[in-house]
Amino acid sequence: MQDELREIVRKLLADGAIEYFIGYCQGSEPHRVFPCFVTEESEVEKLVLGPLCLQNLSKYVLQARDLGGKVGVLVKGCDTRAVVELIKQHQLERDKVVVVGVPCQGQVDPRKLEQALGVPLERVTGVEDAGDEFTVTVDGKARKVGKEQVLRDKCFFCKHPMSFEYDYTLGDVVPFIIDAEKSEYAAVEALEELPVEERRAFWRKQFERCIRCNACREACYGCYCTECLFDRKVPRWLDRPPLPEENEIYHLIRAVHLAGRCIDCGECERVCPVRIPLSRLYKKVQKDIAELFGYEAGMELDTVPPLVNFDLDDQDPFM
Amino acid sequence: MVSSSGSLGNGFEPKILVFACNWCSYAGADLAGVSRLQMPANCRVIRVMCSARVRPEFVVKALSKGLDGVLVLGCHPGDCHYSEGNYFTRRRGLLLRKLLQYVGIEPERFQVRWVSASEGVKFAETVEQVTEQIKALGPKRPRSEVLPTEPGDS
Repeated sequence: MQDELREIVRKLLADGAIEYFIGYCQGSEPHRVFPCFVTEESEVEKLVLGPLCLQNLSKYVLQARDLGGKVGVLVKGCDTRAVVELIKQHQLERDKVVVVGVPCQGQVDPRKLEQALGVPLERVTGVEDAGDEFTVTVDGKARKVGKEQVLRDKCFFCKHPMSFEYDYTLGDVVPFIIDAEKSEYAAVEALEELPVEERRAFWRKQFERCIRCNACREACYGCYCTECLFDRKVPRWLDRPPLPEENEIYHLIRAVHLAGRCIDCGECERVCPVRIPLSRLYKKVQKDIAELFGYEAGMELDTVPPLVNFDLDDQDPFM
Repeated sequence: MVSSSGSLGNGFEPKILVFACNWCSYAGADLAGVSRLQMPANCRVIRVMCSARVRPEFVVKALSKGLDGVLVLGCHPGDCHYSEGNYFTRRRGLLLRKLLQYVGIEPERFQVRWVSASEGVKFAETVEQVTEQIKALGPKRPRSEVLPTEPGDS
């Protein structure tokens, strides 16, 4: 599949169909994969593909807005939703981007992998997909790890292992079985059932840790405003010191801004240096949107997002 | 920075921020005043041109900064001066209320109501009702939880 990808990119670059291609390359350590920009045919060999390709590359496509030509991008099924959303939100024109869809067999959560293996990740030299398991190479020896143990949380409830909006595709998904007993929103529901004081205490503890490095915002495909309101001096929405109150404002405002746009790519939580369970916050908004308005972001190109639309018969608990 | 003024316990007087739409609710508030209706003095009214002008940020910031409640007042659905503004408020309000509830803010602290220009009595009743509810809840942040703020940030 990797060779197939390289072949497609080589051809695209040779034909001059794209200015550059956004894909993944080997990072500083064997278990790390970085996003990379391939501009020359000679660089095509850098491209890699595997269960450790975690980043949502759709974020980088936005740079192509000011580009004369087109740009190619590699998307997994889940990232396709970001591309669809960007087109819907008029941030991107469909003909500006060449989408190469890859079938995704599930992504590995490095933290879970480290725990499952019981060895530092530095000793892992390769992770390969093998049906219901991953073949992990540790110190040159192959070990099998079940997918249930190491898959990213979002992969358990994957709706689109295959991208559904693409120009090129690299084959089909090989079906595999994983055990996902709980519902998609189980973590949210567990929190919803707690009394209000405990919920407040829970989130306070989370927001207290936030150092406001803005990593969640930078990694988010949906944060494309030229000037973010948090960076604005007048009016100033946030005081600079990362106090719990300020952090609460930060995260709640981000949650409402992404209402109806969050595609659950999980990047915010993945990049968080203090491991705030952000997807539990965004998932809640997603759940409400699904329940109240029957809408899911990034699924179809022609549905209208719920918050820029209304229905005369919407429920009205405010009379 | 705004902080809850009242002392803890029985004498607690909440501070409530009211966003009133210029065309209906603000006129309704005016009518309540002209009619000399009695109502609690806990509300601070901000006039906005439409209830849809109230961005969720306003509410989140007000509540996080220590106000005890936020009340958004708009025209009845169908009566919006701009035809459809309050339909958007309705959707957003519902969503925001659920989110605030999720992070541990009681739903009574953020309310949306429809008050028309002729409903002076309803305005007074709403204000009274909301003030009672928030009084029962107590201050937004107990004193012990208040953290030191930046110097000059008052």
